[in-house]
Order: sequence, then structure tokens, then C-alpha cells
Amino acid sequence: MARRYREIGKAGWGYTAITGLVGFIYFFPVFWIILTAFKTRTDALAVPPKLFFTPTLENFQSVFFRASITTGTSQATDMGLYFFNSIFIAFTSVGLALIVGTLAAYAFSRYPLKGNDTYLFIILTTRMMPPIVVIIPIFLMFRLSGLAGSYWGIILLYTAFNIPFSVWLVKSFFDELNPEIEDAARMDGASERRVFFGFCIPQILAGLSATFVFGLILTWNEFLFALLLTGVETRTVPVAMARTLGGEVGVDYGLLAAIVTLFLIPIFFVTFLLQNQLLRGVTFGTVKK
Amino acid sequence: MRNIISGLMGATVLAAGLGATPALSADITITMAAPDWPPTRFMKEHFDQTYTSPAGHTTTLDMDFIPWPSFYERVAASLTSGEQKYQMIVTDSQWLGAFVEGGYYLDLTDKINADPELQAIMQDLHPALVSAYSTYPHRTRAQLEEAGEVPAPGVSYYGFPQFPDTYVTFYREDIFCHEGEMAAFQEKYGSNLPCSYEDWQDTDWQKWGQIGEFFQRSAGEDLAGETLDDDFYGIAYQAGKGYDFSTMAINAFIWQQGGDIWDESKMPEAQAEGVVNSDAAVAAFDEYLSYLQYMPPVAQTGQMDIFVIQDLYMQGKVGAIIDWVGLGEPVLDPSASKVHDKSAFGPAPGSRKGDGTIDRTGNIGGQPFVLTTWNSDEVVDEALNVVKWWLNPETQLSAVANGGQSGLKSVMADPGYNDLRPWNRAHVEMIDWQKDVWHIPEFFELLTQQQEEFDKAITGQQSAKEALDSVAEFQQELLEDIGFIE
Amino acid sequence: MSETSASKGGFGAWALDPKRRGAMLVAPALIILFVMNIFPLLWSFGLSFFNYKASSPRVPSFRGLSNYERVLTDEKTWERFQTTAVIVGSSVLLQLIVGFLLALMFAKVFPMRRIVLMLVLTPMMLSFVSVGVFFKLFYEPTFGIVSYVMNIFMTDKFVMLGSPGGAIAGIVIADAWMWSPFVMLLVLAGLVSVPKYLYEAAEIDRASSWRIFWTITFPYIKSLLLLAILFRTIETFKLFDIVYIITEGGPGSSTETIAVFLYRNAFQFFQTSRSAALAYIVLFIVIVLTNLYLYAVNRREEEVT
Repeated sequence: MARRYREIGKAGWGYTAITGLVGFIYFFPVFWIILTAFKTRTDALAVPPKLFFTPTLENFQSVFFRASITTGTSQATDMGLYFFNSIFIAFTSVGLALIVGTLAAYAFSRYPLKGNDTYLFIILTTRMMPPIVVIIPIFLMFRLSGLAGSYWGIILLYTAFNIPFSVWLVKSFFDELNPEIEDAARMDGASERRVFFGFCIPQILAGLSATFVFGLILTWNEFLFALLLTGVETRTVPVAMARTLGGEVGVDYGLLAAIVTLFLIPIFFVTFLLQNQLLRGVTFGTVKK
Repeated sequence: MRNIISGLMGATVLAAGLGATPALSADITITMAAPDWPPTRFMKEHFDQTYTSPAGHTTTLDMDFIPWPSFYERVAASLTSGEQKYQMIVTDSQWLGAFVEGGYYLDLTDKINADPELQAIMQDLHPALVSAYSTYPHRTRAQLEEAGEVPAPGVSYYGFPQFPDTYVTFYREDIFCHEGEMAAFQEKYGSNLPCSYEDWQDTDWQKWGQIGEFFQRSAGEDLAGETLDDDFYGIAYQAGKGYDFSTMAINAFIWQQGGDIWDESKMPEAQAEGVVNSDAAVAAFDEYLSYLQYMPPVAQTGQMDIFVIQDLYMQGKVGAIIDWVGLGEPVLDPSASKVHDKSAFGPAPGSRKGDGTIDRTGNIGGQPFVLTTWNSDEVVDEALNVVKWWLNPETQLSAVANGGQSGLKSVMADPGYNDLRPWNRAHVEMIDWQKDVWHIPEFFELLTQQQEEFDKAITGQQSAKEALDSVAEFQQELLEDIGFIE
Repeated sequence: MSETSASKGGFGAWALDPKRRGAMLVAPALIILFVMNIFPLLWSFGLSFFNYKASSPRVPSFRGLSNYERVLTDEKTWERFQTTAVIVGSSVLLQLIVGFLLALMFAKVFPMRRIVLMLVLTPMMLSFVSVGVFFKLFYEPTFGIVSYVMNIFMTDKFVMLGSPGGAIAGIVIADAWMWSPFVMLLVLAGLVSVPKYLYEAAEIDRASSWRIFWTITFPYIKSLLLLAILFRTIETFKLFDIVYIITEGGPGSSTETIAVFLYRNAFQFFQTSRSAALAYIVLFIVIVLTNLYLYAVNRREEEVT
């Protein structure tokens, strides 16, 4: 009997085949986008839609190079810089939000202020406003402060976007910890700093990585603020991607798909590496062990 | 924020080396907001290759290439927040009102008055373009021509053509000139299938509809001697919900058949109610709607915009489309277009008048560029030098050869011009017929409501009359509210 | 028990005083939020009482509540809210169903689970813009793969976006596809938190699987489902890009959501003040929803502890 119990909730390769099929069907639109990245425009718009075709790498080449109008020579598109910008800005701001958010979350959990819940609620409220409305004030503010077009400007803005989730998520992880262990450590003469770094943080590392992935998913593709607040040097991929949406032709499906495919790779791997933690993250930590 | 960036090192070295007096020459950077597409990319490249400042400045044209779909948002946010980042801006002619009234676009009338060179350019520009791209408050071509002189008294001028655009017919020479198809068409309708440019000059909307009916074939049927493996359609024009993607085509029908839109040049007497929904306008809109049945099925969704018809045409799904000259270049590109070697271009069809001639009045496309108000005299003068360089016939011919278009009459009359691009002849013929939609600051409110009502008619939710009635009612109320109608 | 670093005088000592520890730790987050978010929010809140037009140099004058009055009495506002409610309602419902079924599927441990799970998680990582663009292509009657497949089974041409219902369905499918994985993660978290021994006990009792689900599994995911509904509702309320790209609000105005309406008012019509008022009405509604959400969180905590 004992053996049977252990097998509850376990399945074999047959089950893998079934879920794999369902998973692939679900994944199919993404698969189709990736296929499109290897198609010429004519293949991308072929009727009937083409599953088999002669793949081309031209789209990937056009991600990084374009032909000059007058001389036909190849010019760099600066896409490499935009990839760097996207990675740098997203990782820095999500990381920053995590640090700042963790400090605040620790305080909200361990040293409740007067009106603790009100603060928490106001923090969450900032995430609910339709962004279009605050654009003009933010734009104006960025111009006056000289933050427009700088890395710090957009990083701080994204940090602000990520703080609400970080605070809420991390607070719930702190709430789960047993304060008695911390008190015991304090009795043994551990400093506050040591309690925080030596006892609390290690216990919620999984939760912190989940928060990080979650923030990354929500930040990675931000378009509107990046469009308005980044300059030529700090432009991110989602903005640069928009050039494939219209001009002399409508959507350049192949080029767009190529950018989407390349842009998927970093976040896909981070998510894959931290996948086990993600399961905890999105529940806002309300699941107690 | 004056954008005289002192590239100190360069300036000093250069000044010392040439022994020039620093007081006269300066380093000037002109930052220009431009949509990211070949005609503006050409301007930047050609500038870098050919421009030398007549004033002896070291001038940099710093183009901020913004993706087309987000161009409006970026420019609007920059202007309304007071960013003052740009010295020059590419703009849709319809935005003139909002941004002139906002105090962002520079009135150039005095500059033109004081400068014979600029006057000569304005004289050489096609008057339809001056009317649409430059004047605010809007003056019609007739009003400008009546005045005779440039600048006309009491008129304010703002913009110059960056890319003047008209719509023309793109058609498949291989099927329209196919003998079997021509004979069959002749037999069925008693008139010829338009094959040559001259045939298209004689093509009216009625024949346009016949072409649509004639070439509508299902998979398995024959087309020009070959069996089709997919459905084929004869015709397509824009009928899209987005931006102005149905208004442009519908305005043409309305104007050609004696109807009118609310005419801002006759403010405040001009009315909307009774004009916008006049019987002529309703009949014209009805005719526009009646041809949708011959168009590819996307016509039923209200999503058949200028790019969708271009794609349908390039992938060989439709025989003829009416689209902007600015979208012509990819049609000739073998990597994007299956019909790159089978395409020819003609004027867009029109409405036949009582005397047998065809009225092709259309709504102008394309973009002017303007100067902004927050720059020093030095920068403004240098920006005008850039304008003169751009509107120099040599530059303009080079632009046309590289996928641009020109609005200069002298360039369009150049013997080599028609051969530069295959649609040039049609473009010249069409540009003479162009008028423009409104330029008032409330332009977007008028446009959005109208596009919505047109879309309901296109998708079969209401009749032409119902659509125009509610457009007229909305416009009358809004325009009375803001005092444009008394 | 307390730190001894307060020996140095001045600001350092003041800041490190244990009495202020909570406030000091919260301060960086609040400062960033205030500067980057709350301040602009208050700014536009202020604007909502004036007649400011961002495109006009006129000095705005104070108008009290007239913008709110105008927005609330405009029947278009209510139409847009209804459209939004329909889209949000059906999208969230679809996300719940799909997410729930996917979660049940992944609740078991099986070989290569991590990789199969990634297949399902990927849609969340795409941008709204690319999802919008490619779903529009899939629906396109001539080129689209969805239309192609549907045409095999239909006699008439399949034209997804030709009717209000079809257009709403088109948007809902794209949005639900993108965010069902999110609901799946929530539900899955609930499922894996069910203590194994409860199942073992149920097995000994030979309870039917329906009964096991209803009495053991469901209580563990009930509140999480409620969370999913509310969380996705908040986010879907802001849905803009997918709608704007796939239909532009058409046919007619049948898919024009409140977010699209807001965009037009703010950016195309430059009714800056009026759109700020509209936005605050939206915010009010979302705050009410969030309070429900917090209520759900609290109940969940009470249940478990």
C-alpha cells in the first residue's frame, strides 16, 4: 500500500505524450511566429499557409543590418544596442525594485507602521491607473529633471512600476517565516543586520527569485513609456520593434517574427531556470506551507 | 533649449584651421522628427552626402527616426509637454491646426515675404500642395490662385512637402492586357478592359465595378489562361477603420459627385448638416459601398486598410487596387511581391460628368514638414537653408529616383521625370485633382467619429444615409459648440 | 536586543534609531513611488478639475466637477464600459476555464514536465503588440491560418472580424490565450498545496473522484480562483494594444474598450482634463474591485490558518 500512496499524482511517459500534444497545440501560435521568422514575405503570406518552405536567415540579418537608400551598402541598425538596453534596463529595474521592495516588505511585516494597511493599499493602487493618463505629467517631469533619454530615468520609472508587486509578494513571504527563530537569534546576540541577511533572506530566496521572474515578465515588453521616454541611445527592443509595423509596407511579418524570436530567448531562459519558484510567486504568496 | 550644440572641439579646430571668423559660422544641429521609412531615410543620407551650409555653418541634420505607427504619439507628447526637442517636424497636413494653435509650428509668412528665393519655391510648388500642406487657417487652391501672388495677402504659411502623395491605380498588366480576358470583357460589357495608361484615363467607377465583377473568380477557375489555386478578386480600395483609412477614399466619391464635406475655408457660414448628408453625398457613399462586394473578404471586416490591399495585390490575390504612390516601391521588389514584373500604374478612376469627362477629385496624402517656434533666428535661417536645399530641383529629382516624390512643378515637368518611377505619370495627373480634409484642431474628433460611422456602413450595420446623417449631426453640434459654425 | 550602532551622533544616529527602523526601511520604496507614480497621479487628478487641453496654450481655468459630470452623463462612456465589461467578463471566464484545465493537467508529476510547462508559459512572455499583430494575421480571411482551417469545414468564407460578436471573440481569444497560463500558475499553486495525506485518507475511504475534488481539492483552490478572477479583471480593464491592433474598436464601436476610448480622448482629442476625470472614474471602479480582491485574500488566510 505504501508504494501506491507515493504514486499519487505521478504519471509516466504516456501522460507526457498527451500533455506534450496539448502543450504543443497551445504553443502553436508561438511556433508559427518562430517559423515566420525564417520565411520570406511571400512565404509568410502564402495561401495555403506553409508549414514546409525553404528557410531564409534574411530576416535575422535585417534585424541587425539595413541597406542604405542611396548607396545600397549595409548599415547597422543599432539593434544590438537595443538588446543590450532592454536587458540592462529590465534587469536593473526589476533588481532594484526587488531590493527596495524587500526592505519595505520586511518593515511592513516586522515593524508595522501606523496605518500599515493603508500604505500597502496605496502602493498597490499605483499599479491600477491606466498608464495613458499619467504620460503627460511624467513626460513633463522627465524633461524638467533632465531624466528624459537617460538610462536612470527609465530604470527608475520601471522600478516604480515593479515596487507594488515586489512589496506585496515579498511581504507575504516574510509573513510566512516563523519569527521565533529570529527572536532566538537575537537572544544569541545576532545583530539586526545578521538576522535579516543571515536568517530571513536565505529562507525566502525561492520567493525572491519568483518575484524577480514575475517582474521581468511584466517589464520585458513595456512599450508606451519606452517609446516616449527613451532617446536614440537608450531605446529598447519593443520600441525598435515597432518599425516593422508599417511604413512602405504594412507589417513586416518576417522581420517582426525574427525580433520577437530573438527577444524571447533571454526571458525564456531566465523563466526556465527559475521555473520552480514561479509556482509560488504568482499566488502573491498566499499559499501557506 | 536652443539646440546649438557646441561641438567645441570640432568647431575650434575647424575655425583655427580655416582661419574663419567664429562669429559668422557656428555649429548648428537641426533635430528633425521623422517617421522611419525610405523617403525620410533618403533625406538624411542625401543631406549628409551633399549639404553644405551657404551661411558657412557646420550643420548637422539629426533625424529622430520614429516608427510610423507610433509617430503621432511621439510627436504629440513631445510638443504638448513642451519638450522643445525638435527644430523640424514631419507632420500630417491634418495636424496643422492643432499644433499651430498650440503655438508649436512656426509661421513662415514673413520669412517668405522677405526672401525671393523662398517665394520662387512657393511659386514652383504645386498649388494643391501649398493649399493642403502649408496654409492655416486653411485656404483652398482656388482661393490661393485667385490671390495670384505668393504669399497671398492674409494667408499664413507653415509647411513644405516632404513626401507629397496621391493615390493611383496599381494593376496587373498580365491579366488586364490578356487577349482572352479582353475579348471576354468586351463581349460581356460592350467596352474594353483597360490595358494601357490611356485606357485607365477613360476608366470611371462604373467600369471599376465591372472589373470587380468580371475578375471575381473562385479557386479552380481560369484566370488569363491559368488555373487558379485560390480565390481571386478584381478590385480593392481602402475601407479600413483605422486612422483615415476609409475617409480618404470616400471623400473622393463625395467630391466627385457634387457633394461636399464641411468646408473650413468658408467658416463660419459653411454648414455640416444638410451638406455632409446631402443627397449627392449619400448617393456617392452608396456607390462606394456597392463595390465592396467585389473585393476580397477582408472588406467585410472594416480592416481593409491601405496596407492590407497592398499585401493582397503583391501576393497576387487581386487584379487592381487604388493605393498611395508612397506604397508603390515594395510592389516592384521581387523579395516582397509576386507581381513585381507584372505591374503597371494608371490614374485612379473617377466619376463621369455630363460632358463625358471624368472628375478624379481626390484627397491628398503624404506629409509636409514644418519648423518649430522655439529656435533662435540663426537656427531658423539655417533651417530655411535646409528647406531650400531640399526643394532644389536637383535634390528633388534625386529623391524621386530613390523612392521619394516631388511637389515642384518644374521637377514634374522635367523630361526625365516620368521615366524615373513607373507611377510618376499617374502621380502628376492625379496631383492636379487633390483637395484636403479639415485642418482644424478638432480634426481628430471629426475623423474618429466619421471613421466609426463609415465603418458601421462598411460592415453592413447601417445604411449610407444613416451613417452620413449621424456624421452631419455630430459635426454640426461640435462645430457650433466651438464657434466654427454660426 | 537592539543594535548598538547609534553611538555616532547626527543624522546617522537619528536614521538608525530602532524606533524609526520601519519607516527608514519603507522610505526608499515610498520615495521612488511618490516621485515616479504618485506625484504624476496627483497632477492629473488636479488637472481633472480644470479645462486643460494639452494642445492649447490657453491658461486653463478651474471647472470644479464639470468634467466628471460631463463624462458620467455621456452615453458613450457607458457604452464603452459595457463593451469593456463584456470583453473583460468573457476573457476572464475563458482564462479561468483554460487555466483551470491546464492546471489539472500539470498537477501530476511526469517526465519532462518542466519542458512541457514552458510551452504553455511562453505566450505570457510575448508583447501585446506582437500577439495583436499575429492574431490579426491568423484571422485575416485570405492569408490567415485560422481562416484557412475554418474554410475547410465551412461553405461560406470564414470572416472572423466581420461582425461585432466575431470581433469580440477575436480579441477575447487572443487575450485569453496570452494570459490563461497566468491563471494556470495560480490554480496549480493551489493544487500542489493540497496535503497529500488528505488524498490518501480519501482513497482509504474509497471516495469517488468527484467527491474528492469537491471536498478536498476545491477548498484549496477556491480562494485562488477568486484571486485569479479579480487580478485578471484589473489587468484586462487596461487592455489596449490587442484591441487597438486587431480591430481599432470596430466594427463601428463594438469593441471600443474604455482604454481605447481613454486613449482617443487623451491623445487624439487632447481633452486632457476630461480624460483625467474619466481615468479617475476607471480608477475608482478598479479600487472597488481591488477591495473585493483584498477581502478574498484575507478570507483565504483565515481559512488556512
